[in-house]
Amino acid sequence: MTPELLAPSHVEVPVPVHAPSDGAVVLREPRLRAVLGHVVLGLLGIACVVPLYWLYATSLRAPENIYSLTPFPWPLSVENYAEAWGAVNLPRLLVNTFVMATMVALGQLLTGLLAGYAFAAWTFRFQNALYLVFIATWLVPFQVTMVPNYALLSELGVLNTIAGAIIPNLCTALAVIMLRTHVRSIPRELLEAARMDGRTAWSTLWTVVVPNLGPALAALGVLLFINAWNEYFWPALVLQRTNDVLQLALHSFIGPEGTQWGPLMATAGLACLPVLILYLVLQRRIVDGFVRSGLR
Amino acid sequence: MTLLEVPAPPRAAGPTTPAAVTTPWWRRVARAAPPYLFLAPGLALLVVWTYRPLVSTVRLSFLSWNLLPTSPARSVGLDNFARLFALPDFGAAIGRTAVLILGLLPFTLVVPVAVGLLARRVRGRAATVYQAMVFAPMLVAPVAGAAVWQWMLDPRAGLVNRVLGTTTNWLQEPASAQLAVIVVTGWHVLGFATLVVAAGLAGIDSEYSAAASLDGATRWQATRWLTLPLLSPTLSFLSLMTLLLAAQWSFPLVNTVTHGGPSGATTNIYFLLWDYAFGSFDAGLGAAAGLVFFLGFGLVALVLVRLTERLSFHDS
Repeated sequence: MTPELLAPSHVEVPVPVHAPSDGAVVLREPRLRAVLGHVVLGLLGIACVVPLYWLYATSLRAPENIYSLTPFPWPLSVENYAEAWGAVNLPRLLVNTFVMATMVALGQLLTGLLAGYAFAAWTFRFQNALYLVFIATWLVPFQVTMVPNYALLSELGVLNTIAGAIIPNLCTALAVIMLRTHVRSIPRELLEAARMDGRTAWSTLWTVVVPNLGPALAALGVLLFINAWNEYFWPALVLQRTNDVLQLALHSFIGPEGTQWGPLMATAGLACLPVLILYLVLQRRIVDGFVRSGLR
Repeated sequence: MTLLEVPAPPRAAGPTTPAAVTTPWWRRVARAAPPYLFLAPGLALLVVWTYRPLVSTVRLSFLSWNLLPTSPARSVGLDNFARLFALPDFGAAIGRTAVLILGLLPFTLVVPVAVGLLARRVRGRAATVYQAMVFAPMLVAPVAGAAVWQWMLDPRAGLVNRVLGTTTNWLQEPASAQLAVIVVTGWHVLGFATLVVAAGLAGIDSEYSAAASLDGATRWQATRWLTLPLLSPTLSFLSLMTLLLAAQWSFPLVNTVTHGGPSGATTNIYFLLWDYAFGSFDAGLGAAAGLVFFLGFGLVALVLVRLTERLSFHDS
């Protein structure tokens, strides 16, 4: 941003300065600034999307054209998908991954809601220390916990089951942090009124807090679902023998005798598809839910 | 967002004031219990799945054990730590992790702030579309992302070399491999960071900027002296997250594509831990390294939090 670009906004003030509405502010902006915004954001957006486009473009090329660089894959071919379909049990993988991601997201939402409510609605002893206990999980990487947790899951007899991939991930600091902020944004009078009414803390949570957090809970839930859907290392460790979720199946196309790029891209494309659709459908709500919380 | 907050001003104190002295102890316990009960499920999960393993890691760090259930673990005192600090890999991995963190900061701070500020100018439908495009990589599973980037960076048939007209073997040369890891990881986390910044910007009252422009401030002045300081809690949250999680974010890529190579150029601290445990089956050394990283990161994070608490600027 150079001073030259900024100078005009100083000099020419075509509308009354005190007009506070959005429309007036935009009018006052020289068109050049908006153009600059479009160019920068457009280029950045394209750079972000190119790999994703290339993933689907490669997956739709005929096997003999796999090395082609034409921007549009022509003739279109679903042969890679057919090959992937034959190599791995896609419906089963989709169902398993869906069950895992849903359970993990719901669990994280619930533990996060309870903890966030506790932190936001009360002042209590050891509050800060306990909050730190949640945050400090970011200091403990997966590589530190994997061996002891693997041993415990083996004692519980849930290795190589979807349950084993779910149970250790039912609480996440991100949900606690965000829901604490969300609950805080609810006017305190509302919680006080519920207490005056003689409601218990538990019923206040479900009749006052949750209905007020609808969009925020949905947005966070989707985000947690996406994270769980994309999770790789924990399932990789727990489901060693069965490889029963999508992210693990990708590896069957990467072999010592070379990578089968076509089917690999097809499976990767399918692994991303549900999440992309979910996001495209709910984009407005996800962003709004996130933004309205004023995560800060 | 501040991580260590000063307790909120005391709420309407309710019935706990002088009467509390005479109420029986079980009444007082029952009255104080709710927040702890609400915290219990989350805490229990963390104790079992995060802190119990951490404690066993502490124990393991004083033992020599090859992870086989049949072979006994031997107590070796501080030997693992002595070996760790003598290993050249250890310092090198820390240095590379620092490079990774610094390399990711543009993706988690600079670009998201630029996008957030520019999106305010563009507005409307177009802004939504651009934001959706920037968020998209966040949705791609790390392994799928790693696969498509490996494909695009292929030295012979890859899109990147064909477009740039180069013949660089990106993932097999030490300098470019680290760069590739930074860019690909940055591509992945950019969307999340942008979302967080957008949320932070939305939380800033636009009346401040309006007031500033009434006072004759230019846009840049308003941004520099009002918006950025008000955004500082968000920025400190993102820096803390980058600091603590950068090595984790890059792990799927390093593990599936570069395997820490070429000649260790992409071996960061968490890959080193993985390698000690499952590459050389040296559980004691891995645990010692894990513990050192935990304490080191804890210390750095604490300093960062204290520092931002002193520097940030609160809108109250």
